[in-house]
Amino acid sequence: MIAGFRPYMTAARLAGYQVELRQIDAGVKEGDTTVAAALFGTPASANQRRFAARFPDFVAFEDQWSGIYPDMSGMLATIRNNLGNYKAVAALPNFILFPWFFVAPGAILLGALGLGLSRPGWWRACRRVLVALGLGLVLAPAAFQMFSRAPAGGRMMTAFKTIETRSRVERIQGYFGDMAVGQGAVQLELIPALQRSGLSLGEISSRYRGLTTFDNQWVHILNDMTPMIGAMSDNVGNYQAVAALPPFPLFPWFFVIPGLLVIGLAAAGGPGRAPRVLYARSSVVPNSLPKGVK
Amino acid sequence: MRQATSRLVPRIVTLAALAFGTALALVAAATTVSATQPLNGLFRVATGSYFRMIYPGGGKYFKNPYSKDANKTYTLINGGTDGGLRTGVLQPAPAPAFDQHGNSLAGRIIQPTDFTGINFGLATEGIVPEISVSGTRLSGQVKGFTAEWNKLSFSQGGQVTGSYNAKTHSYVLTWSSKISGGPFNGFTGSWYLTGKFVS
Repeated sequence: MIAGFRPYMTAARLAGYQVELRQIDAGVKEGDTTVAAALFGTPASANQRRFAARFPDFVAFEDQWSGIYPDMSGMLATIRNNLGNYKAVAALPNFILFPWFFVAPGAILLGALGLGLSRPGWWRACRRVLVALGLGLVLAPAAFQMFSRAPAGGRMMTAFKTIETRSRVERIQGYFGDMAVGQGAVQLELIPALQRSGLSLGEISSRYRGLTTFDNQWVHILNDMTPMIGAMSDNVGNYQAVAALPPFPLFPWFFVIPGLLVIGLAAAGGPGRAPRVLYARSSVVPNSLPKGVK
Repeated sequence: MRQATSRLVPRIVTLAALAFGTALALVAAATTVSATQPLNGLFRVATGSYFRMIYPGGGKYFKNPYSKDANKTYTLINGGTDGGLRTGVLQPAPAPAFDQHGNSLAGRIIQPTDFTGINFGLATEGIVPEISVSGTRLSGQVKGFTAEWNKLSFSQGGQVTGSYNAKTHSYVLTWSSKISGGPFNGFTGSWYLTGKFVS
């Protein structure tokens, strides 16, 4: 999920999406006001009725846009507000490695304990390994700055809860279809109508900058937004898998607490314990006792 | 003894009839199988061929404002430099597959066609298309069928069905394919190809 979003999670890219939404908004507003007035004159009410009858696709899109714009802008604002949180999580080790952060220490712990018990002479070395392992676990969250980054990740996950859902992604896919129809109406209907009214393309471009910018930028908008919609769609499952994990702020403690337990275990099997184990073993080997010992 | 024989004879006759019937059915089935012929060649994509895209959940078609059809949910397509879809061989996308604006350059099967402002093209990649005819019925697979648009490739492969007129060589092929992954995840592409088959 973190890798999937990486290309889009930059301040410049997110600001670019906001610019594109503003360009569409300016085009829609200009189409509905000055362009409609230029094509049908005043009064506004009659003008609007005739405009709606002549350009139903554009007017339908204008109506849809009044819902799309705040929704998309709000979503982008949420994503932008969580850019820092995203970067904090992205700086953590890869999520794929996380299970191994627990499996590997567990395997080392079991291996050290098994070796220490089966070969009492190695117990001291095994204790050192256990202490090192425990210290490693206790210090790992500090080394990875988990105490600050993990809560940031938790905030990001909470903020994305309403964004990374299948229904939300499908709604945005639907917006794409609506925007495509709206842009098609601009290029195939509104601009030709302005041309028929006697304006050249240059004049249209200079008089109706909002409308022509929307039209001219459309392919760029498609190039830019489509992969982001793809990334959002492809990561719904990944988001839900990560969201199903324990809360992010608890993550550092999953290292610290086992680390302290391992250190405690090593301390409990300290220098006073090992000889007793050795003695217990030697007592069952009477042949090794020196002469005169009863 | 005679009574036993009189009971046995009808049973033998019934069994023989069943065996004969089964044999006839098997012969008929075998004949049908042998009548299935692979059609290796070119399915020309002619006027009347189209593509439609259905929203996730179904029930609503995607409108392509740049469609040449009056009903904008139909995107009309025409044969490309090869004339159409070839069976028995692949028709891969060129390299590079797109121009700088994301327009597909895959023009062998169909002429790249405007879809929402960017041209899409078609290619067959990986699995060679296979189509057979049995009487007037077409069946087969186009698992390698791929739509290319906006610097993205969408698998549109599937099992095809259709009809074929051996005298006129006219054909109709249809199939649908659900898009998995990417910006159109959950959409279904519906394909209708028609024209003449050339071996």
